[in-house]
Amino acid sequence: MILPIFRKELKDHLRDRRSIFSGLLMPILGPVSFLAMFTLIASWVRQDQPLTVPVAGAQNAPSLIAFLQRHGAVVETAPPDYEAQVRDGKLDLALSVPDDYGKEFEAGRSAPAQIISDSSRNKSRPQVYRARRLLELYARRMSALRMIARGVSPALVAPLELTDVDLATPEKTAANLLAIMPLFLLMAVFVGGLHLAIDATAGERERGSLEPLLVNPVSRFAVVAGKWLAISLATAFAVLVSLIGYRLAIARVPLQDLGVKFQLGMPQMLGMLAACVPLSLFAAALQMTLAFFARTYKEAQTYLSMLMLVPMFPATFIALQPIKSARWEMLVPVLGQTLLMADVLRGEPPPASWFALAALSPLVCSAALLAWAARLLRSEKIVFGRGAGG
Amino acid sequence: MIEVRNLHKRFGSVIAVEDVSFCANDGVVTGLLGPNGAGKTTTLRMLTTLIAPDRGIALIDGLSVAEHPVEARRRIGVLPDARGLYPRLTAREHIQYAGELHGIPRKALESRTEELIDLLEMRTIADRRTDGFSHGERVKVALARALVHEPRNVMLDEPTNGLDVMSTRAVRELIRRLRDQGKCVLFSSHVMQEVSALCDRIVIIAHGRVLADGTPEEIRTRAGKENLEEAFVSVIGSDQGLLQ
Repeated sequence: MILPIFRKELKDHLRDRRSIFSGLLMPILGPVSFLAMFTLIASWVRQDQPLTVPVAGAQNAPSLIAFLQRHGAVVETAPPDYEAQVRDGKLDLALSVPDDYGKEFEAGRSAPAQIISDSSRNKSRPQVYRARRLLELYARRMSALRMIARGVSPALVAPLELTDVDLATPEKTAANLLAIMPLFLLMAVFVGGLHLAIDATAGERERGSLEPLLVNPVSRFAVVAGKWLAISLATAFAVLVSLIGYRLAIARVPLQDLGVKFQLGMPQMLGMLAACVPLSLFAAALQMTLAFFARTYKEAQTYLSMLMLVPMFPATFIALQPIKSARWEMLVPVLGQTLLMADVLRGEPPPASWFALAALSPLVCSAALLAWAARLLRSEKIVFGRGAGG
Repeated sequence: MIEVRNLHKRFGSVIAVEDVSFCANDGVVTGLLGPNGAGKTTTLRMLTTLIAPDRGIALIDGLSVAEHPVEARRRIGVLPDARGLYPRLTAREHIQYAGELHGIPRKALESRTEELIDLLEMRTIADRRTDGFSHGERVKVALARALVHEPRNVMLDEPTNGLDVMSTRAVRELIRRLRDQGKCVLFSSHVMQEVSALCDRIVIIAHGRVLADGTPEEIRTRAGKENLEEAFVSVIGSDQGLLQ
């Protein structure tokens, strides 16, 4: 008798376009925002893009220009209104070499040159940074040559030799966007079946169809089991949609440009599903039971919206304080899945036994919740709403 | 056959049903008559296994409802107080859902559905979603849903409440037809005229107790009144139930 209830709930749900749309909005938002941000960052730090330096007054400093070109920079003649163009973001930067550059340089004084940039523009920062590095390198070389010419060791004026070893490359920043993927998948778990869970429980009571349903020769357990399976399916579907969305998004993203060796191939997709599907069953059972318990439709909405925050906790926790996955953590619903997915993403898939452990506890919890929900339906207070009866 | 013996139910400090016993036989229309809040709906809900009595026993065809709830529900067709429908399902789908829950095989269910659609004259609305149905149309769907498995015992909670004249006539006609088929029909109403028009036997309930039980004739004689209306007033001690 579980099957007719399952079928009816699905049919009813599939006709509810608006709630299907709202249920899939969040799961799709993850991949879409990922695609947008990743593409944006990739366009900023694209490494194969040559450094282009528009120069005003290039004829004043032929050796500097030659140096820049030797180091791979493309030197262009700056347009007359280069300052305005930099301000408008049309140019990332410009180099201005005044007429007296050569005279000062010849005389062994500090020759003037200007880098024109707009430091408020994140987009141009890498280009400005690269240009500045090249110019500083040129300056160091020149000063070394001048000192050697006067018989002074260049090391004398460089008591400290600083080398930058920056581990937080822009590529890594972009790749970090992938770290929120498990969070979005978990949100999909808690939002995918939310509307159906409320409609099939508090909604069923509020529209007065629970009483006619319960006078049928069907056990209370079959009623909750049928509804639970329908909610679970809606939830798992949302996860799948999100996952496919991520796969399509990642396929469109210029990952190579970022030097990220990440792929969402079949094995990774299966790993994600193996983590999320058992959790979907648990989330569905929890949502259904809570919504039965709620006095009204509105109250159920409040409860289940708060439940959506649950996946945030482990994800935030791990982001702030990265922990190494341990076996016992697999037994904590949501936390276990978060860690499993993070490991899969990193390309270090945990052993199958961990997946089994992470599936075990949600399933046990689901069974307990189902039994509780069936018990709730034997209570007149739940069936007719609390305070009712007469 | 529907029987209750010494049913008792209280909700917190409110005693809904104090001590109700009666028996509704097959082939007879039995009316539970009483003012609002008399305990009619609570009694029906105890019979339909939705509420557990504090004391007493409810029997369907001699089967204890408390001990065999699923089997008892198999033998009853219920039009509950709440006629809730699913707005996104059609009238036909409502009937079929109930039929599936009763385990009726597909073929049989299809022909039974057609039969009910004709019987309740709902051909024009059968394949429309119930969202926006009139009150009468909703009651028809709920009735069809209750009767899909051809139950031997039919319980109707205020079946004509809020219906227009035409729908009321149709429901009365249906109730008589069920009786002629030998079913046990138990229906509750707070409207005296409704009960007197239909019932072979009347159980008058007020304040959770049975005050009178018998044929309309018997009730009149016992109260020593000319007509049923006055008998009713004298039995329950007020004219509350007469106000529609």
